[in-house]
Amino acid sequence: MRLGLALGLSYLKRAPLLIVLILYTTVTGGPFLWVTAMSLRTTAEIFDSRYALPTIWHWSKFADAWTKANYGTYFWNSTIVVVSAVALVTLIGAMAAHCLARYHFRGSRLVRFVILSGMILPPQLLILSLFQIMLNYDLYNSLLGLVIVYVATQLAMTVYILEGFFTQIPQDLFDAAQIDGYSQFEIFWRITLPIGLPAIFTAVILNFILLWNEFLYAVVLLTDDDKRTLPLGLMRFMGGHQLDIGMIATGLMISIVPVLLIYAVTSETMIKGMTAGAVR
Amino acid sequence: MAVVAIEGLGKRYDGDGEPAVKDFSLTIADGEFMVLLGPSGCGKSSVLRMIAGLEPITAGTVSIDGTVVNDVPAKNRDIAMVFQSYALYPHMNVYDNLAFGLRRRGFAREEIDRRVRDAAIKLDLAQFLTRKPHALSGGQRQRVALGRAIVRAPKVLLLDEPLSNLDAALRLNTRNELIKQQAELGTTTIYVTHDQIEAMTMGHRICIMRKGEVVQIGAPLEVYRRPANTFVARFLGAPPMNLIAAQLDLSDAGATVTLESLHLEIDAWPQSTPARAGAVTLGIRPEDIYETPPPELRSRPGALPVRVVAVEPLGAETLVVVRLASSGEELIARVGRESRLVAGGTTSVFLDVGQIHLFHPATTTAISGFTARLMRSDA
Repeated sequence: MRLGLALGLSYLKRAPLLIVLILYTTVTGGPFLWVTAMSLRTTAEIFDSRYALPTIWHWSKFADAWTKANYGTYFWNSTIVVVSAVALVTLIGAMAAHCLARYHFRGSRLVRFVILSGMILPPQLLILSLFQIMLNYDLYNSLLGLVIVYVATQLAMTVYILEGFFTQIPQDLFDAAQIDGYSQFEIFWRITLPIGLPAIFTAVILNFILLWNEFLYAVVLLTDDDKRTLPLGLMRFMGGHQLDIGMIATGLMISIVPVLLIYAVTSETMIKGMTAGAVR
Repeated sequence: MAVVAIEGLGKRYDGDGEPAVKDFSLTIADGEFMVLLGPSGCGKSSVLRMIAGLEPITAGTVSIDGTVVNDVPAKNRDIAMVFQSYALYPHMNVYDNLAFGLRRRGFAREEIDRRVRDAAIKLDLAQFLTRKPHALSGGQRQRVALGRAIVRAPKVLLLDEPLSNLDAALRLNTRNELIKQQAELGTTTIYVTHDQIEAMTMGHRICIMRKGEVVQIGAPLEVYRRPANTFVARFLGAPPMNLIAAQLDLSDAGATVTLESLHLEIDAWPQSTPARAGAVTLGIRPEDIYETPPPELRSRPGALPVRVVAVEPLGAETLVVVRLASSGEELIARVGRESRLVAGGTTSVFLDVGQIHLFHPATTTAISGFTARLMRSDA
């Protein structure tokens, strides 16, 4: 009796927290489950009853989206652009962060300020001038052009995340490697990169998610259908007079799955990177 | 093995008014164990880092085996260094930590393996070769750091306060281990520390530094027995040397020093000393003050009436803080463990006057070359 009362009280104390958690889970997880259900139903079924669970599981919709709706091409375009951009921005960002964290040279503060100021400019501000530059250099409507733009726009955040972590690597390690005979670049490659792996994971995942879902630059800088990335592909089903909501949901699932997989596999390392240095 | 010669070395950091190292000159013989000793911020680590090539040299030269290495990068100086933080590569296991420098220098795989395993056996690390540094104790990490330095058989071994992160018991063991390893290897070694016990026990010679300058260089006992000035006198020895104001009188007949009721006659007073009659600083080590004078003392001890301020029994010995009856100055005496002195009581302590030091009161430099003996005591 007394035990039951104590248990009841302890639940009551935690009730506000539980309510907040349930609300948050509903707000974030609800739409995801809804899209998942819709991705397996036809548009007619959805208009019939919006929130119903699938009665017949239309797995064939995924095959149709991949082949007939050109999602296969969009997926590969997205993969090529995002993987190359993330690889490049990580490598260049890590080198820049290593230099800023490790060397105190004349003007290093100015360089840091210029790089990091890229974070405060909204993309809408750059889009017109970027469009003109891309045209001038024959990079308009090319995947390479989009990769270069993605690298440039994500560099500031990447340097910011990595520099914060790299400055915490003790100077003695670099001195020891120098005495062991390694050049500055080898020290970056063999000491900074392996030790900074948690931060690099964090930067890779954040950049991957941001660029995988990036819409604005892609819609302005790409026009050919066979060059579109996944977020643009979804647009195909949003015409002026028709809206194929079922196919949009299927397309959304195709674009969400890689992000979910990457997050599931690397989330622990990422959290380690984000909280590194917070607790010594 | 190598001779390291440092000539007029200077270091000034950006934005700092005072140079961190000033006109530092020192020659370290082949195979010598040299200790740079001084308080925090005296510039000893800066000197070590300039020898290592990790810090640009502002003035002067560093030579290894007759070759000036000022502009030679650290990796080409053939030196090895052990850091205070050990600086082990956290993502590599012990084997790779030891082999890292050898790999870069292009040794054959078999040779690397042989050297790493030899060092591991020598330093009792053989069973930890596959462990990462975070899975090792402080003492083991310290041994890996030393191993990483010695596998390369460098010309010069530099150690920057390598024992300061160890607990007291481990520090004693590792100290002995380091002395043994250095004697076996015969590598020219420069060891930086602020711990005077490490300096006294490990070094063939000690170089004492203060505010970026050399104060005194010499064998440990020589520096302990003949400190160049009051700084060295206070820095070496625990508890440090007692320094008391005394009165110096100079006449044609010779020199005399008066301390409270004691009148000391100074034989062989050095004529070249700039000291003039008047105030003088008298120094005496705690072990040269007795509760009861032992019969084997060569000179007649001088008795000083004192009040006992504190008694600190340490087991093997007892430290007694006493206050001079007239001037009120405090002295520390190291007396036997059977001491019967109690705080608050009055007594007389006995100075072995043959062991006193005199320092110029203004310049603090030592006045040397004399002998003192008790002339009379008014007590």
